[in-house]
Amino acid sequence: MKRNGDELHESGLTRREFFEASAVLGLGAVAATQLGPFAGRAFGASKPTIKVSSWTAYMDKKLLKPSGDKIGATVKYVEDINSNEEWFAKADPKLRRNQSIDRDGVVLTDWMISRVLQLRYMQKLDAKSFPNKKNLLSALRSPSFDKGRVYSVPWQTGITGVAYNAKTVTKPITTMDDFFSKDLKGQITVLDEKRDTIGLIMLSLGQDPSTTDYAGTEKAFQKLEQLSADGIIRGVNGNEYVNDLSQGHLAACLAWSGDVAQIARENPDIKFVIPDSGGMLWADNFTIPKTSKQAKLASKWINYWYDPKNAARLTASIQYISPVNGVADQLTKMGGDAAKLVDDPLVVPTPEMKQKLHIFNSLSESDEAKFDARWAKALGQ
Amino acid sequence: MAERGDDGKKRARFAPYLLLSPGSLWLILFFVVPLWTLARMALSSKPSRFADPTFDWHWSNISDAFNRFGPQFYRSFEFAFFATLFALAIGYPLAYVIATRGGRFKNLLLGLVVVPFFTTYLIRTFAWKTILADDGPFVSFVRWAHLIDLVRAVPLLGHWLLPSPDRILATPAAVIGGLTYNLLPFMVLPIYVAIEKIDLSLVDAAKDLYNNGWQAFRKVIFPLSIPGVFAGSLLTFIPAAGDYVNAYYLGLNNRSTQVIGSVVQNQYLNQNDYPLAAAISFIFMVIVTIAVLIYARSFGTEDLV
Repeated sequence: MKRNGDELHESGLTRREFFEASAVLGLGAVAATQLGPFAGRAFGASKPTIKVSSWTAYMDKKLLKPSGDKIGATVKYVEDINSNEEWFAKADPKLRRNQSIDRDGVVLTDWMISRVLQLRYMQKLDAKSFPNKKNLLSALRSPSFDKGRVYSVPWQTGITGVAYNAKTVTKPITTMDDFFSKDLKGQITVLDEKRDTIGLIMLSLGQDPSTTDYAGTEKAFQKLEQLSADGIIRGVNGNEYVNDLSQGHLAACLAWSGDVAQIARENPDIKFVIPDSGGMLWADNFTIPKTSKQAKLASKWINYWYDPKNAARLTASIQYISPVNGVADQLTKMGGDAAKLVDDPLVVPTPEMKQKLHIFNSLSESDEAKFDARWAKALGQ
Repeated sequence: MAERGDDGKKRARFAPYLLLSPGSLWLILFFVVPLWTLARMALSSKPSRFADPTFDWHWSNISDAFNRFGPQFYRSFEFAFFATLFALAIGYPLAYVIATRGGRFKNLLLGLVVVPFFTTYLIRTFAWKTILADDGPFVSFVRWAHLIDLVRAVPLLGHWLLPSPDRILATPAAVIGGLTYNLLPFMVLPIYVAIEKIDLSLVDAAKDLYNNGWQAFRKVIFPLSIPGVFAGSLLTFIPAAGDYVNAYYLGLNNRSTQVIGSVVQNQYLNQNDYPLAAAISFIFMVIVTIAVLIYARSFGTEDLV
């Protein structure tokens, strides 16, 4: 018993001391958050900060600090977007009431940009701070949802196709019919990014997703519904497919090009193919919420990434398709592994590759609502 | 003196309310107010998809929820029922052995039941996904030993639990298994407490009256442990019915594993139909409440552990 008592004293913290210590710590923490901004101003030393929300696998941390130094700001780059819809569900109630979402930039997929622009949730990019906009690939310059790219500009683009594990799938997949074949029953998933899944099915049915409206998607939905009812499709996956594929939970799935390039570095059995009928092309775009007070600085930051040199460094690391002109030349100049990427059509698409890729048409608000509901119905949700 | 006496009485009258007030305040703030908001939202409508919902006694949300999502409601309770049943089948013997035969290892054994649950729910569920991988060692063994075929041979249930002969993931069996695993301690602990309180000399008394071991268990131990079973079943069934993590990760949210929680998520995040999502949640709560009341009436005792 005595020993116990001694031990307690040796630990040197009575209950009272513990409470006092916690109280002091708590006060300190509160003081730090409250006084932080003032302290910075008082010393005149702190740089302004911009905060950006983005997806995983879209930034090389080593490149982040130089990008901030160049524009004289600290960049807080947060990888907190996992799905366009989840982001919207969180941001919508605030932006609707003109309340700040505490971000100076967000990266969203084309169709979500279309939605938030219709709702007037974003502000214009500052054209004066963004001269490098001239480097934007001409094909991406004037999408229907943002003519002339006034509000948004692509961060990265990528391809949706089929990924499979060559260990389980002995006969290489080349078409969507191979992918949906009975041999793979219950071992494949589709993407919860609806336009990717429906777009690929439409292409396999000989339809063009780049001009479709809601009515045009019905056949693809019927096919999806049938595949789901027959148990061909095991389920729907978001970004988790990366794990499922590498751990052997799945034989094949719909997937995004850059992700698969990154998995294949460690597991060469994982292959990515664009079905013969064609693949989907999409862009995730940088845009500035209307509540941000740092639009100029955020525009300067995106300007930095539109310098082909900086864009090429990013591409070398994340292996998505850059929207910036001249990246291929810069990659060649970098030499080594980066130069090899120039010959990879998934990173620098060849003209033949470009012909196989399609962008999903943007849907009107009422069509989009029907589209989303039809999706849920097709999957029994 | 008289005054002081009155004062004391007054204080005595208010004391219970005063003592209750932190709890009541908590309930009002975090239960009544949200419930009221939820009910209001459930009876609201939206003129267009991204408009603000307005409260207008929109009763059709309720009928909509029933008509469109009947199967998912049903499935949620089905999964919860089986998970509770399995948790009871595993948990009761476990609790019984720990309480009666645990001796000085009692606390250690109880600790072992609880320790895995220091890891978060999500990670444990994810781990099961790896364990149950199609070509992983576990499923390979189960296939080799024809255990999947054995389960599938069970009339009525077999093909429902395991629709495919060569895998476990993305089936109702995986979801029910995940729920059972994740909620087991909630079954074990109350039953343990109930059995631990039983005076074991009652068993000796029963045996003196010519009962054999099984009869003594059936007539003495089990009836006395019913409060634990009751509490454990509630603590397992209610979270299991509302859970969607297991259906999402282990069931992959397909046609045979979709539960009501996933529907709410879909309506809220994807369709932006907050009123319908609220209506579904509200109906779900009402069903659970009614089910619990019926259950309490028919099996419950006043002594909830």
